[in-house]
Amino acid sequence: MRQTYGKQLPAMTLSGLAGKLIVIEGTDGAGRTTQINQLKQWLEELGHAVLDTGMTRSRLAGEGIHRAKEGNNLGHVTQSLFYATDFIDRLENEIIPALRAGFIVLTDRYIYSLMARATVRGMDPSWLRSIYSVALRPDAIFYLRIGLDQLLPRVVFSRGFNYWESGMDLFPGHDMYDSFCMYQTALLAEFDRLSEEYHFETIDASADAETVCKHLKARILEALGPPAPQAVALPIYLDLMETLDERLAGILTPGRDIAEEQPPQDMPVALHAPIAQPLRETGLL
Amino acid sequence: MEITSNFHIGPFEILYPLKPSVPFNQYDGKNIFPGRLFVVEGIDGSGKSTQLSLLHKWLESKGYGVVFSEWNSSPLVKDTTKLGKKKKLLTPATFSLIHATDFADRTERSILPLLKAGAVVLCDRYVYTAFARDVARGMDREWVRDLYAFAAKPTVAFYFRVPLETAIGRLLGARDGFKYYEAGLDLGLTDDAEDSFRLFQGRILEEYEKMIPEFGLVVIDATLPVEVQQAQMRQIAGKHLESAKNLRTRP
Repeated sequence: MRQTYGKQLPAMTLSGLAGKLIVIEGTDGAGRTTQINQLKQWLEELGHAVLDTGMTRSRLAGEGIHRAKEGNNLGHVTQSLFYATDFIDRLENEIIPALRAGFIVLTDRYIYSLMARATVRGMDPSWLRSIYSVALRPDAIFYLRIGLDQLLPRVVFSRGFNYWESGMDLFPGHDMYDSFCMYQTALLAEFDRLSEEYHFETIDASADAETVCKHLKARILEALGPPAPQAVALPIYLDLMETLDERLAGILTPGRDIAEEQPPQDMPVALHAPIAQPLRETGLL
Repeated sequence: MEITSNFHIGPFEILYPLKPSVPFNQYDGKNIFPGRLFVVEGIDGSGKSTQLSLLHKWLESKGYGVVFSEWNSSPLVKDTTKLGKKKKLLTPATFSLIHATDFADRTERSILPLLKAGAVVLCDRYVYTAFARDVARGMDREWVRDLYAFAAKPTVAFYFRVPLETAIGRLLGARDGFKYYEAGLDLGLTDDAEDSFRLFQGRILEEYEKMIPEFGLVVIDATLPVEVQQAQMRQIAGKHLESAKNLRTRP
């Protein structure tokens, strides 16, 4: 059965979370977004239902965080807790229901980025571990590792310096370049510590995107294990995948526990839950 | 693979969140905060806000620099809380976290700097409200306490103890009905708002009772006449201000 890092939230049932939770970690500019887009398409072609999620995308706190970051008065404790709120909202309302419905959840960063950012801002590491003790242990954590020297041109030459990516809230009075170097160096060091503690699978992200993707695919196939009989791609299922994405929002309504609704007895064997249920939810069955 | 860099991290301050076990005026062994922090706690209808505003007036009349901070009032966070309550998006966990975020903003922005500056800070509800409500919603007791480890420890935390029926009687006379989260309707204990309020606030009262010895809350009998309660409060607060004559804004 799936486990958390220690504590369980009220009403959180850990049994029946049939899907896979795959984390892609890495600092800004490591190429996470590019990889996730490709992986999602690839996994869907293989016949898996995929949910991708990432920081500040929660319905509850996403917008609030963006608004708070527009000003210059977001304290470090407040910032850490605002991100924790966003994370837990997505954990309860997106990640867990999707896992219950048998999806592969591809998450663009997880608790590790949140802890790294908060730690370099002076938050107590044991405080952060207590807060995130309610997070689910993923099936695989891939860390796209890159050095500062390779990171600099990627970030700076493509989109210029950004206040938060440069950690300007930590190093006011420095210029963006110096601040960027100090901040990202601190983050990379923290990621190395986390990598040992949480057993990241490190991928050399300084290679070209195609090579990185090839490595990731091989490792993800290992993490997924042999396909279950009901996960073998059915022609009808592949057709449905195209429209499934648009309907995801409809399935993953907060508080819905898809697994607890029993599938009807006359369901064809090949379309057994967990795949059948989300499809019925969308009205496609 | 080696992460290569010619850069070294500059010396930057590590401000670990404050531990509740450390009195706030000694938290880093160097900075002694000259201010004082008085907080009031109790269920809705206990009369704590009335008492705090009377204490506020008295302190001002004595010449102290007084600042008031209310639960759930951070300008940075309250829109998110409002959204969550209005759309009923909040689970026990996110209810807990968004209130902690609000409290963190007030702590970082005003409470700590004001205590450092030597103000008398008054808080209507403090971390104990979160401990009581969140645990009543099913959150882990220890997890919630850890969450608020950054809070400054109050000089005095007054707990206004009142029987549930007295509080409900006061509230029913004063307003139209109970709000969704306030009545604990999110817990699905019962559909009736008043019954749910009664059950939920009952659980909260139990948590408060347990916190009296745990945190040394100072109990005020909230069934006594207003004037008597206020006299007790002033006497206790006054004792903690004897050595703080320098906090006055005027002689």
